[in-house]
Amino acid sequence: MMANIYRASHPVNGMILNAVYFSIPVGISFYTFQSLSYTFDVYYGRQKAETSLPRYAAFVAYFPPLVAGPIERFHHLSTQIFTFHKPLYKNFADGFRLMLFGFFLKMCIADNAGNYADLVFTKPEDYAGGSVLLGMLMFGIQIYADFSGYSLIAQGASIWLGIHLIDNFRTPYLSASVSEFWKRWHISLTSWFKDYLYIPLGGNKVGIPRWAFNILIVFLVSGFWHGANYTFIAWGAIHGITYLAEHFTRSYINFSGSKIGLIRFIGGIKTFILVNIAWVFFRANNFEHAKTVFKAAIKPKGTGNLHIEMWVWFVLIVFILADISLYNKRIDKFLGTKNILIRWLVYSLLLACIFMFSGTVKHPFVYFQF
Amino acid sequence: MELKKIAIRLIAIAVIAYSLNSVFTRYFWEKELTKEGPELNKLLRLSDSCDIIYFGESSNMSYDPVNDMITTSISGLIAAQIPNKVVGDVSHQAYHAGIYLPLIKRIPEGSRVKTIIVTLNLRTLDQACIHSELETALQKQALYYSDQAPVWIHLRAALNDYDNVSPHERDFRMWKQWTNDTIKAGSLKFPYPTIKTWCEATKFPLADGTEDMPKRSLADHYVKAYAFAVDSDNPRVKDLDEIVMECRAKKINLIFNLLAENTQYADSLVGKPLVDLMKYNRSFLVNYYKRNGVIVIDNLEGVAGKDYIDQNWTTEHYNYRGRKIIADNAAEVLKY
Repeated sequence: MMANIYRASHPVNGMILNAVYFSIPVGISFYTFQSLSYTFDVYYGRQKAETSLPRYAAFVAYFPPLVAGPIERFHHLSTQIFTFHKPLYKNFADGFRLMLFGFFLKMCIADNAGNYADLVFTKPEDYAGGSVLLGMLMFGIQIYADFSGYSLIAQGASIWLGIHLIDNFRTPYLSASVSEFWKRWHISLTSWFKDYLYIPLGGNKVGIPRWAFNILIVFLVSGFWHGANYTFIAWGAIHGITYLAEHFTRSYINFSGSKIGLIRFIGGIKTFILVNIAWVFFRANNFEHAKTVFKAAIKPKGTGNLHIEMWVWFVLIVFILADISLYNKRIDKFLGTKNILIRWLVYSLLLACIFMFSGTVKHPFVYFQF
Repeated sequence: MELKKIAIRLIAIAVIAYSLNSVFTRYFWEKELTKEGPELNKLLRLSDSCDIIYFGESSNMSYDPVNDMITTSISGLIAAQIPNKVVGDVSHQAYHAGIYLPLIKRIPEGSRVKTIIVTLNLRTLDQACIHSELETALQKQALYYSDQAPVWIHLRAALNDYDNVSPHERDFRMWKQWTNDTIKAGSLKFPYPTIKTWCEATKFPLADGTEDMPKRSLADHYVKAYAFAVDSDNPRVKDLDEIVMECRAKKINLIFNLLAENTQYADSLVGKPLVDLMKYNRSFLVNYYKRNGVIVIDNLEGVAGKDYIDQNWTTEHYNYRGRKIIADNAAEVLKY
């Protein structure tokens, strides 16, 4: 009631708050990163300064990756943007495959998983431990499918224009270690932090304590980039600490470097669990919320159970099989090597999932907020 | 050559989509429609079995099961008075002309329905309602009521292809109108030119120097809900115009049931200028639609202030006595 009185009595303040909201452009951090990388590259002499404002603006404002990446570098994008491209059938086919899979990831996987994640994260105390764990898993699936889906759609749309963007994801949940995970997750951000923060801090050309400090700083800054909230810093810290722990125990057990399948498999399970635990901090509103989720997850009994529809299980199975099949491959290249029958079977399956099983509850792209 | 290849593939996708529509309609549509567009199946059933359909919102129902002696809805009370006709209702909270329209469009040609009564709620024409946060969910329901291939509707809903504006954007538009739009209604004179200035000036000082905040809050709601002048550019009026056209095309008698508003409270809290504005809007709607051959039942001042269930909010939730008055007025028209 008081809020309403305030709003009614002070409409101008309401207008100002709204004006502030609308004056922050979507995806501001992504093109800030692009602009910063250009500035650093010019400063360090790695890149010749662009003297034409329209050409620089075209680089910053190039639309497909604008709001959620991949974060492009000037030398990679500018050489393509300012070249004449003839429409090629191959580009049309590759772009279609990337976008089709991207839409499948976003609309079928992320948007459906997001419904369940939202239920559990909104009121974790209402659910039994098993359901909370399932909800945590659903958020892990949501954020991966959502973000990689966007990247694939951006890549596909860009290929139609003849411009190839860098890969941003390579089946990260099949990583055997946290260090491998970061070579496969949000690759453009990882390489940005490596080039513009980790290496300037001294990289690995310093003593062990300083190197460990550098690693931690990179992960903490990466967490902080996602938002001014301690939960993001905790998320970054978990990754940083596990990264270091893996490094210091590598002489005893090297999950990602092992040639033994079982060790890689165990490493994969361990990494998947760790990453999903860290996602709780990423998703939680604050530490108290994260604590409630963890407490609910270990609670053996609860009143509510997460009921997942059969068709959601179906699309999740399609997603898992696709992810395993695409290990170290990209969907357009993978399908390009198959015969027409298999290709069209895959297209039909993906179209069927998109047309019939897409989630209809609105879930904006998770990374639009960053 | 390459264009031919692309064309063949696009045709293949269209064939796949067509087949998927058959599968989706057969196995998934009913469940989804029950969840996302709950009133359509009811409307289609009523179209076969009713002579009169009452389109209403929350005002149709009783919201006070404890104190209401009889909880029969307005449509139920109408039905009781015309036993020779079958009356059905399609009622859902927060529905307005923009949602009734796609539903009315779905009444099959040559159905049994000869008359429809459409609730005309003055508040649904104000900025707060037009830019309400509820609108996104309502527009999604309207999409499910549209006459399109089910799989296409599902895909459009998944792509958020409906009036899917963010709450911030809706809020922004509302504030903008409250702040900038000057209230102009014929020759009427207003003490304050905008809703913003009117709200700011509406104060209830107490003897101890503080303010009667509950009273001020309620007065604010009255100003925000009724301090506007309807004209033919109002988006809801445009929806109502389309309803008129649709009924004319389907040869269905149309009755607009202008709901009662708490003019007594509006007068005591905000004053005569606000009540004059409400009456001005009533006159506009009654005259405008009478000119278009529509019967408009004028209930605006028909229900006494004490017969409103919500005494600290601007709603059209009436107790039994209030609902009975509205129903009696409608039944009177239907008898002829």
